[in-house]
Amino acid sequence: MYAYDTFDHALVNARVAEFRDQVDRRMTGELTEEEFRPLRLMNGLYLQLHAYMLRVAIPYGTLSSVQMRKLAHVARRYDKGYGHFTTRQNIQYNWPKLSETPDILQELADVEMHAIQTSGNCIRNVTTDQFAGATADEVADPRPYAELIRQWSSFHPEFSFLPRKFKIAITGAQEDRAAVKWHDIGLVVKENKEGEIGFEVLAGGGMGRTPVIAKTMRDFLPVKDLLSYLEAMLRVYNEQGRRDNKYKARIKILVEAMGVEEYTRQVEEEWEKIRHIPIDVPDEEVARIKSFFAPPPLAVLSDEVAEVDDLAAKNFIFKSWLANNTGRHKVPGYVNATISLKPHGGIPGDASDEQMDLVADLADAFSQSEIRVSHEQNLILPHVARKDLPALWAKLDAAGLGTPNAGLLTDIIACPGLDYCSLANTRSIPIAQTITERFDDLKRLMDIGPLKIKISGCINSCGHHHAGHIGILGVDRKGTENYQLLLGGSGAEDASKAAILGPGFDEHGIVDAVEKVVAVYLGEREDGEEFLAAYRRLGPDVFKEAVYGSH
Amino acid sequence: MALINLTGIQPIDYTALADEAKPGEGETIAVPVAQLIEENADLFATAGSVGAIIGTETPFDALGDIVGKIDFAVIEFPAFGDGRGFSLAVRLRKDFGFKGEIRAVGPVIPDQALFLLRAGFDTVEASGERKAAFEAALERFPAFYQSDFGGQVSVAHTRHSAEGQRKAS
Repeated sequence: MYAYDTFDHALVNARVAEFRDQVDRRMTGELTEEEFRPLRLMNGLYLQLHAYMLRVAIPYGTLSSVQMRKLAHVARRYDKGYGHFTTRQNIQYNWPKLSETPDILQELADVEMHAIQTSGNCIRNVTTDQFAGATADEVADPRPYAELIRQWSSFHPEFSFLPRKFKIAITGAQEDRAAVKWHDIGLVVKENKEGEIGFEVLAGGGMGRTPVIAKTMRDFLPVKDLLSYLEAMLRVYNEQGRRDNKYKARIKILVEAMGVEEYTRQVEEEWEKIRHIPIDVPDEEVARIKSFFAPPPLAVLSDEVAEVDDLAAKNFIFKSWLANNTGRHKVPGYVNATISLKPHGGIPGDASDEQMDLVADLADAFSQSEIRVSHEQNLILPHVARKDLPALWAKLDAAGLGTPNAGLLTDIIACPGLDYCSLANTRSIPIAQTITERFDDLKRLMDIGPLKIKISGCINSCGHHHAGHIGILGVDRKGTENYQLLLGGSGAEDASKAAILGPGFDEHGIVDAVEKVVAVYLGEREDGEEFLAAYRRLGPDVFKEAVYGSH
Repeated sequence: MALINLTGIQPIDYTALADEAKPGEGETIAVPVAQLIEENADLFATAGSVGAIIGTETPFDALGDIVGKIDFAVIEFPAFGDGRGFSLAVRLRKDFGFKGEIRAVGPVIPDQALFLLRAGFDTVEASGERKAAFEAALERFPAFYQSDFGGQVSVAHTRHSAEGQRKAS
């Protein structure tokens, strides 16, 4: 993992001192709320429905056990004993006091964490594959490049007051688990014929009220050119992105209006002018950062473990957990293990302070003291020996963290919705809870197979409904909560926009509708055909008929 | 109003040229950039020193024709969140090698002092009661992750210089 040096510590501490001063000046009235707002947002502090909400960055989703214990401590000491892991590899605390937020940030700074640029019209936390460095299907670990971007984008003198928020995601694997095509900038790590590492560069993706899938600007950008290229991309956007209408201010609108060819032409023209001035870091710096992400010292073990097979043979829950929640590691004999934060009937992404402490302990015992956070709102132990799985699973299961549903229908992404959020039109969490209760049957879930449901409580799309195999969008219809059903979206390498199936439903009707859609799939699927593939083959009509036909 | 001096430059004392007005012989004036581009021969001949008042909506390449003739630039922020002003200053320094004073006017706030300095601004006009806050904000950060056109070297480069290695250890 990356470790701060004296420079990083000094900068983050300076930021805490600055924020403490800003809070003091707001409390004395020296700063108006209008002036304070963008400053607090750039430190992740929102004003929500009931209280302030603090969003803390988990850069590229990587945490140490020490950091996880600190997150548990913050939940216990400053909040109501829980935190909420988000779709952008952040954790949100829903009940901090304004006057205590500088203390929280200082505690976080002590363990090399921060809330810098987790909100506001600036470059946000860079996200990546939760299995980075711990998956067999990877070209290279993307995290050193994410850390390079984190540093370059922090307190950027030119790009801290952009037209709108700006999100960058990077994946090192062919299977895209970071939804890079749904980001303002997406980067896909590639290796060229000469064995050199670089990136495919995509721009202009985004959700919100105008969902757009990012377009490729460049097939291969060498590592040494990464930051100067990003700088050119941001400069053209900062200068020409719309500022007259916040709903048209994201880069996706600029790229659509200009055309990706023209945007690329302008970026490349600017890049040619700046690529030789020292924006990019020296090779020694890339090497320094890479050294922190060296593979952990794992002794190769056998993948055949009799104890694991025996338990799986007699315990269907463990067998399911093994099938769904563990994935192939780079090193034989190891897996990455997903800890589901989606217990049936629970709140997607929430974890209590005790659960966070337990995960920290388990990381120390079984996973090189390392933890990951996924954009699907789960936690991951990235480096677990197969032989340790029975012991690990028993402890997770006892703490309510053993739900074997990773990637299945009940592994739902949901935004906080009207239970917390001041932008929401409807609640999201109760819909997720009702669906997971309705489908609380492991055999049925296993039969249905991979199916991603994503729920947003308003058009801002924090719950990624545009990218759901089944998407649910809450809208306000004459003062009542109404839920639209969308089908066929994908956030993966085969990214697609989900399409609205028909008229919306009330909170009970939407759950029935999901069940009917699943029933159509089960009836129509071909051998081994997953839900998304079946939908793409069948088209919407057969689903429409089943859902609306009887009315 | 107070003038906050970010770089220690000798600030220019100018008069904004009123609409339709002609500059006095040898006068130091600031003129909206559109006016400078349209009709400038007389103006440059008469005035002693000319600066451009640049709105944030100005495309940077429109400055190419006049940048060699002006002595200072005044970038007008309509709102402190309008970050185009930062890119304009960067463009003046980087694309045109402009060495004169760049001043920020409009509702910029003390917490932007270092962003302004690092983007290439020399001075800021602000309300007098905010002078101290601006000056305090200038001292806030000990180092930066970016190199800039004012000569600041990024932490990434400092780390690998002899001086930086002493500090980092």
